[in-house]
Amino acid sequence: MQGILFPRGVVERKEGLKEYRSRGGYAALEKTLKDLSPEAVIQEISEAGLRGRGGAGFPTGKKWSFTRECVEQPHYVVLNGGEDEPGSKKDRLLMENLPHLVLEGVILASYAVGASIAYLYINKEYKAANDSMAQALAEAKESSYWGKKILGGDFSLDILLVSAPSNYVAGEDSAAVEVIEGEEPLPRQKPPFPATAGLFGKPTAVNNVETLANLAPIIAKGAKWYRSFGTPESPGTMIFSLNDEVNQPGIYELPFGTPLRLLIEECGGGLKEDKAMKAILPGGPSSAFLLPDQIDVSLDHNSLRAAGSSIGCGVVRTVPEGNCIVEEVLRIADFFAAESCGQCPACRMETNTLAAMLKKVQQGQGGQPLLEQFSKVIGFNKGKGFCNLINMPGPPIESALRLFRSDFESHLANGRCPQN
Amino acid sequence: MKQICLVCQNVDCKSRGSEQLMKELEKQVTKKGLTDVEVRSYICFGACQDGPNIVLYPEKSWYASVKMEDLNDILNHLAGGPDVKRLDKIDASLKELIYQLLDTGVF
Repeated sequence: MQGILFPRGVVERKEGLKEYRSRGGYAALEKTLKDLSPEAVIQEISEAGLRGRGGAGFPTGKKWSFTRECVEQPHYVVLNGGEDEPGSKKDRLLMENLPHLVLEGVILASYAVGASIAYLYINKEYKAANDSMAQALAEAKESSYWGKKILGGDFSLDILLVSAPSNYVAGEDSAAVEVIEGEEPLPRQKPPFPATAGLFGKPTAVNNVETLANLAPIIAKGAKWYRSFGTPESPGTMIFSLNDEVNQPGIYELPFGTPLRLLIEECGGGLKEDKAMKAILPGGPSSAFLLPDQIDVSLDHNSLRAAGSSIGCGVVRTVPEGNCIVEEVLRIADFFAAESCGQCPACRMETNTLAAMLKKVQQGQGGQPLLEQFSKVIGFNKGKGFCNLINMPGPPIESALRLFRSDFESHLANGRCPQN
Repeated sequence: MKQICLVCQNVDCKSRGSEQLMKELEKQVTKKGLTDVEVRSYICFGACQDGPNIVLYPEKSWYASVKMEDLNDILNHLAGGPDVKRLDKIDASLKELIYQLLDTGVF
């Protein structure tokens, strides 16, 4: 397997500056500063069709042009390494193992949007990633890849490390901006989006770690090469995370459009103990469940949407036969109730109420009318929060009710899972 | 019929004094011998900006922005007196959603 980020598609070892340079590292930055205008960088990234890897899949070039075009100065870049999605470890492993690839992306992004300061916002629990990025910063500064007059040219950039709280909303872009300003990790009401009014009210491009790691390869080898991976709407590769349900948990970089079956069966080695599969959650806890007969779906934004789910940030979970879906969604609902920051009344009510309703179902209290209330609570609150967390419990819960109704009915009738 | 007096105890209502309101309600309900009234906490009614919120169920009266000085009128209502119109200010669609939930036993 050939990757764009990890040379063999999987984590091998930590790469220092010397090794990174020996495989063409920082050549993209040198080429950019010598031959490319910031607009040309944005153009190349747009032509490559790079989409954000933090979960929303927004076109990166478009986001940057919003920032670039703002007259207000200064502009900022934030590397969002908050990564609090349960089961996701791709950003941590990228920062730990390929710190210079990430850093070169930060510097290229800063040049493109016209930023004079970049912040590396990294989950404080990620000690090795923080250390690795700090070491890379020191090595790169010595080689004049950042600082005053980079490589003797006109572009100067300061880069600072910021510790990110490890709660879920701290990874939301405007919450990251709040933390860097010294505030609590609370999302802001949008619009305005950080791209036009972020840090200290100034234009700020906040990008996920994996997104920025794609920059140097795109600039070095070109948009056309990049588009030789993936699908027309989702070019390139994505790093998928597999967890303990499979024989070979880990992260796997695969081209968009790869069948989900290949990820689960060939990369992951199938489910542990050869268990049959009951359901798949292809895009983390905020995605909708798929059935095992959908395992041949392509891993790309449009195909997963057409299948009724979403790709999220690539955390693929499988639910083995024998597990109860009510228990699965109760865990998800409890997670969102605990992680809601609580500043939006609708989100507080929705996440707490859904968790309480599922608890009632689990304990066999309540009847069919209770099941009818889920979509009403979800529908009533849709879009009423500052951030997207309010919309997150909906897809897993509604798909679970649709696809695994008998699990809910068994709980209501007997107070327990159908298997027990 | 037994009335349940649900007092929101989520952070926002708490920060506006709902804990003290609930304690005082419990005390007064016992003192006045309102044996068919039960005071219970509730997770969140979704009207935090109008808190503290108190909902009487199954009667379905919703009292918002309740202050200590409003409790006598609420207790009077619980004892069979008139409802407290000045505290009834919540949007009808939210009321409907919460009342439907309460009807399914979520409290």
